[in-house]
Amino acid sequence: MPPVVRLLPPPRAPAEPPARPGRLPLDGGAIDAALNGGLALAGCHEIYGPAGTALALMLALAAPRPGPILWVAAPFGDEGRLYGAGIADLGGDPARLWWVAAGKPIDMLRAAAEAQRCAALACVVVEAGSAAAVDLTVTRRLQLAAAASGVFTLLVRAGPPRPSAALTRWRARAAPARRLAGNAPGPPRLALTLERQRGGPADIEHELEWDRDRRRFLPADRDLRVPQRLPVGAAFGRRATPHPGAAPAMAAG
Amino acid sequence: MLVAPDRGRQIIRATCPAAAAEGLHPGLALADARAQLPNVAVADHDPAADAACLDWLADGATRWSPMVAACAPHGFLIDISGCAHLFGGEASLIADVVTRLGRLGFSATPAIAATPAAAMALARFGGRRVADLPLAALTDLEPVAVALRRAGLKRVGEVAALPRAAIAARFGEALLAALDALTEAVPQPLDPRVPLAEVMAQQRFAQPIATADAVRAALERLLLRCAVQLGARGHGGRQFSLALYRADGHVWHVTVETAAPQRDAAVLLRLFDERIAALNDPLDPGFGYDLVRLAVPVTHSLDESQLGLEGGQLADTQLAELVDRLTARLGRGRLRRLARADTHIPEQASFDLAWDKAPPLAPARLERGEPPTRPIRLFDPPQPIEVLAEVPDGPPRRFRWRGQVRDVAAQEGPERIAAEWWRRKDGAGLTRDYWRVEDGDGRRYWLFRHGLYGRETDDPRWYLHGLFA
Repeated sequence: MPPVVRLLPPPRAPAEPPARPGRLPLDGGAIDAALNGGLALAGCHEIYGPAGTALALMLALAAPRPGPILWVAAPFGDEGRLYGAGIADLGGDPARLWWVAAGKPIDMLRAAAEAQRCAALACVVVEAGSAAAVDLTVTRRLQLAAAASGVFTLLVRAGPPRPSAALTRWRARAAPARRLAGNAPGPPRLALTLERQRGGPADIEHELEWDRDRRRFLPADRDLRVPQRLPVGAAFGRRATPHPGAAPAMAAG
Repeated sequence: MLVAPDRGRQIIRATCPAAAAEGLHPGLALADARAQLPNVAVADHDPAADAACLDWLADGATRWSPMVAACAPHGFLIDISGCAHLFGGEASLIADVVTRLGRLGFSATPAIAATPAAAMALARFGGRRVADLPLAALTDLEPVAVALRRAGLKRVGEVAALPRAAIAARFGEALLAALDALTEAVPQPLDPRVPLAEVMAQQRFAQPIATADAVRAALERLLLRCAVQLGARGHGGRQFSLALYRADGHVWHVTVETAAPQRDAAVLLRLFDERIAALNDPLDPGFGYDLVRLAVPVTHSLDESQLGLEGGQLADTQLAELVDRLTARLGRGRLRRLARADTHIPEQASFDLAWDKAPPLAPARLERGEPPTRPIRLFDPPQPIEVLAEVPDGPPRRFRWRGQVRDVAAQEGPERIAAEWWRRKDGAGLTRDYWRVEDGDGRRYWLFRHGLYGRETDDPRWYLHGLFA
């Protein structure tokens, strides 16, 4: 696609956060303060919510250690497959993504345990879905292994939250992105809720925008995502959508 | 008695000794046999099962020599050159073979000869000398056999005494070739069932071992011995196959493969542990194993390496070991990497391949400050959706996916991707117009309209192809 003129400025980039060793800073603000400087890299973190895959991918890309990202997943249901071009578009190198197609939940957990022992990996993502095999014992094992080897571990889950020994529990869903010219959706924006944190404050909600050029999150400025009234056809004949509700009702059936 | 259909009749293929004693023989029709023996037990002849059984026996026969070839329909050949003394001479080796086969319920006619063809002929027709074999050992073509009989020849030795040119002229080249196969005129290599490994170690047990610990200890010793051999050659193995010979004739094979040449016994032992733990049907030791053999069929040069100070090499080694362990645990093809193809069609542009098959990717170049134009998850095949647009070739305004209606709050497009008309003879295939859309809740989707309205189709269908978040 040809580059188009973007009308709105990107969110203010905060000053480079002071890098605390062993921590992954998220927004450089309230969340990091609650997390005591960022997500602990030597630990296991749980992610729930519809945008869990996206958040896990972004966190894995933001992790400072070089090396492959091992993505362990039970066979995909109807959620589609990981798409290399999309990962490249998030600023990641698709070649860094190794993917284990485990046939059974037990294979998934074994592969994860194996991977967690390998300190050369940047991140291990376990996409467990709603597998019943992932219980309190399993999460404790994942957490202990992550703490022992220092491998950043993310556990993407579905369904209602279950007891877990992970350091934090997040809920991720997509948030409306800021609008670019021609009412185009801008860079990915996620609404994160820190639902639980071991030994720390929780129930913090915040929106973050992914900056793919620097592979890090920026705090989303709410003012920027108010839809702007743009002239019809601002860029190659696109139609601005003034009010979503103005769309005619969908015919039944 | 085994029967097989032949031109509409059931023909006897094989009989048991008792039936043979009653005068039933292969080739007889089942109806005739039933006339003689009304209560004869009959089963269908299964050539595939026969071949599988023969292969199984030939596998077991690798305990005597690594060079074993199955020889259909009912024989196998063991090249015992240089092996006989390990079993106390040819006679006691033969006795061992016959005893073990007898324990499994097979009767065998053994023969030892200088060439494979001669050994098979001696086993089939009996006798001790090749020269005494009947002419049937040379040819099964009736005209040639008749010609030989008319010439007054009865034994192979008599034919061999004739001048070669005369044999070729009167009875054909094929007979000469058969004669050469029986005598030692030409080398006749066996086609071994298992490729011969240059590096091999084995251990025999007077008392069969049955516990997993004992097997593991034996494996460790064999790995150390192979590691010494590999180290002396400056090689590392890429494939290690362990054969466990059960006392009752069955052989279990366990093979591990490594991504990089390897000769570290501790690492390899761990890979074998993973592989054995991941087997679908656990190794049943039966009455125990009396022979354990480790072979390294695939080797590559591997020099002693020194660890780099910066640790980059260490990370590579760790990753290679992780790949090996995951492959051993989950099987080949479970560990995958993403690959890219040079095409515009989105679902073909990026896909995953087995870890060792995927070529390295070149990093993509990105426009600074632009949003992603490709989704994180791709549906393959795309999922059909119902879309409401203001005009047939306009942007989507509202769509229904998985039973839910979603309003489009923001969109960008179209990004037009044409079908690969140059690949198809008729140039068919519809153009797709892709839209990045965001619904009222902020979820972002990748939709496309299949076909250009008015030019390619009058009723373009819509699909949801991927999810951004």
